[in-house]
Amino acid sequence: MRNRFLLARAGFSPAYILTTLVVLAGLTIGSASVFAQRQVSKRFATGKKVRLVLKNISGKVTVESWGRDEIKISATLESSSTTVLPKQYGEGVIVDVLSDNRGRSDVGNVNFKIQVPVNSIVDITTIMGDISIANIRSDMVRAYVSSEGDIELTSINAKEVYAQNTSGNIFFDGEVMRGGKYQFQLGQGDISIRIPASSTFDLDASAPDRKLALGQFWNSSFRTVGEGRKYSKTIGDVNDGRAKVTIMNFHGGITFIRR
Amino acid sequence: MNCEKCQELIHDLVDGALSREDSATLNAHLESCLTCADVRDDLQSIVSFCQQNRGQYVAPPNERALWLRIRNVIEAEQAATSVAAPAPPGKRSVWPAFLGSSWELSLPQLMAAVAALVVVVSLATVVGMRRFEATNAIDNSPNTTAAGFAATGTRVRDRISQQEQAISYWNQRVELNKARWNQRLRDTFDRNIQVIDQAVNDSLNELNRNPHDEVSEERLNAALNEKLALLKEFSEL
Repeated sequence: MRNRFLLARAGFSPAYILTTLVVLAGLTIGSASVFAQRQVSKRFATGKKVRLVLKNISGKVTVESWGRDEIKISATLESSSTTVLPKQYGEGVIVDVLSDNRGRSDVGNVNFKIQVPVNSIVDITTIMGDISIANIRSDMVRAYVSSEGDIELTSINAKEVYAQNTSGNIFFDGEVMRGGKYQFQLGQGDISIRIPASSTFDLDASAPDRKLALGQFWNSSFRTVGEGRKYSKTIGDVNDGRAKVTIMNFHGGITFIRR
Repeated sequence: MNCEKCQELIHDLVDGALSREDSATLNAHLESCLTCADVRDDLQSIVSFCQQNRGQYVAPPNERALWLRIRNVIEAEQAATSVAAPAPPGKRSVWPAFLGSSWELSLPQLMAAVAALVVVVSLATVVGMRRFEATNAIDNSPNTTAAGFAATGTRVRDRISQQEQAISYWNQRVELNKARWNQRLRDTFDRNIQVIDQAVNDSLNELNRNPHDEVSEERLNAALNEKLALLKEFSEL
């Protein structure tokens, strides 16, 4: 009786207080889970031309260049049982993600942000999650998602570029170097290639019929194998064809965009 | 003297290499045998022609003695060789004798050998090229025979069969581990394996309709490889 009296005098109804308590409890639990995420950061002094190899399980991976001769790895780990194992070897760094317990299951998302010297060879693989690589000038850039995730390669100037995933999109924005090798493969989603108009390459593109848009790169030297069937392949040279561009999309389209 | 013996000796008679007795006996037969006389006349005319146009070759005096001396020298040399290096019976190989022999070829012989070699190599190349083209025609040409179709179909089926065996193995490993996956992981796996399976099935259907569809064959191969890679990745989780 006395308590009800006090509450009434303060102007708070029991329903109001109960709601407030529920909201406060929710906020507490939420902030606790935020704090449960661990942050890991490590730097490796390297040369100008290094190799970064990352094998993730799940989560987003962002790689970009910076002006220092070192690799900085920052990772956010959702699961407490997950360990990030970066190892330096010679002129390279290998990063592996493991669970403390058995195998590599239940690792949760591990989101990486990695900064590398601009001339680094970058080799990223993950089972699920997006991969974003930007501003790299080197011998090789590889992004491989074995299941779902978008791959975005921006401002890439590499002799060899490989991008492959099963579901998602692939976007490549960069240059096609003379004598270079560029391979893109996707199960479901769209592949977009944004390159300079002056690019010279030999194209081998396979997609469902009529789902290849060459835009301004089309010329009369192209020939299509299997036209009118469910899948077709377009082969031909753009300018003198000094690089090899191979693209295969099982279900989606392929689009060339002039940079 | 009969005609056979006479015609054996006519050459020596024409060359003037017969003894007086033999010459007398032979001439007696030639006077009575018109056939042998004709042979002698023919041979005489040939020898005369040769002597007039190619110069005269005088038969050596006592030709029989000369041949005997030559034979004695050859036999003496053979005996000396067999004493110096007696070959074990039954172990003498043809190759050492062949390789050890002296090869002295005249220019025409050398040219003939080179020409023969060129002809043999050319023939081998032509035959090889035809066989290669025939094989390629079976593999690539859309206008092949029924046997070609069967061969291509079998090749594709064999490859699929091999890949399916590997896929089956990794699939079993995935199934073993699936129990400890969370729902999100299961859903992700199922969605993506469906995407790849659809690509595999589409390519197979196209290949059934057109066994020589290179594009579908290439896509099938890529899809099976991708499926294998996906299963391997997930089997480690």
